[in-house]
Amino acid sequence: MTVSLAVPDILVARAQAGDEEALEALYRAFETPVYNLARRMLKRPEDAEDVVQETFLEVVRNIKQYRGEGHLWGWVRRIASTKALMRIRRDQVRATEPLDEEPGKPGMRVGANIDLERAFEQLSETSRAVVWLHDVEGYTHEEIAEQMGKTVSFSKSQLARAHARLRRMLDVDAGEAGGTHA
Amino acid sequence: MMHCTMEDLGALRAGEGSVWARQHITTCDVCQKELELLYQRIAQLKALPALRPSRDRWPAVQAVIRAERSRKRRTWSWTGSLAAAAVLAGILLMQPNGQNTLYAELNRAKQQSATLEDSLKQFDVEGSVLSGHAAAVFAELEDRISLLDGTLAQRVEGAHDGDAELVRLWQERVGLMRELVQARATRARYVGL
Repeated sequence: MTVSLAVPDILVARAQAGDEEALEALYRAFETPVYNLARRMLKRPEDAEDVVQETFLEVVRNIKQYRGEGHLWGWVRRIASTKALMRIRRDQVRATEPLDEEPGKPGMRVGANIDLERAFEQLSETSRAVVWLHDVEGYTHEEIAEQMGKTVSFSKSQLARAHARLRRMLDVDAGEAGGTHA
Repeated sequence: MMHCTMEDLGALRAGEGSVWARQHITTCDVCQKELELLYQRIAQLKALPALRPSRDRWPAVQAVIRAERSRKRRTWSWTGSLAAAAVLAGILLMQPNGQNTLYAELNRAKQQSATLEDSLKQFDVEGSVLSGHAAAVFAELEDRISLLDGTLAQRVEGAHDGDAELVRLWQERVGLMRELVQARATRARYVGL
């Protein structure tokens, strides 16, 4: 998703002064991109909605500290991704991408020709987060590692493993690749 | 024949491929195709439609903002009231014996109020998600306490002998604080905080 969110300076200034209408306008401007980011990273819609709420509470509490350096969306996005990653970290069950497929798990059959969106949803939350932040939002592995509290090589290997898995699930000319691209 | 791993392909995409991978990709059709598929997959991910929340969370955010503002006002007002109450205590201490009961009741209400303020702090979790309903209940109680604090501050300024009304106001504050603590405790039990 390409985000082009230009927010007038006057709106930011009003929000910094505590104007509730301006704060709501900011909420309305960023609600969908924040939700989309969180929802792509997290499996449960209600978790993503909680991230929206937590993100905006932090935006409201800290808007005075925003000095206009860089795009406001960049600042909000950073808060949102941190909140989503905190949720992933909080729940260890969400874990990382498994080394092998889980046989018999619905929707995870290797070779099934499913679309990318569904395949992406099958990934673990950690993998989703890494793929989305790196490939879509343009974060570097260094930034992802820092936000996740992991190493750069962890981020790189999660990304590679996630793509290998997507590749298998999408099953495009899988025979040709012969599993060498894992 | 050895092919590029997905990590090699990712590195090639980022312009950081190894010497071997960079050389291999120029001659291997299979790996060229895999790299192309990787580019396509990423382009498709970027093109996925934006997902929208099914529920509007602004009312809940707004309620929390209002509750926090109200709490800040209340804290300021409460600090002012405490200072003024200390002055009043001095005045009442100098009153004849008949006023001692009032003074004792006032003192008790103030102590209860302070204890309840302390209890409230344990439920004050920054950034915790509240439902719109819970936030509205807290905000309403906090607003009522703020209003009462305003009245108390004025009352203390014009304190006079045997101010039974002041005692009643402090007792009312204790009642509202109790309700607030109970509401916070119930919510904390419910969400396991």
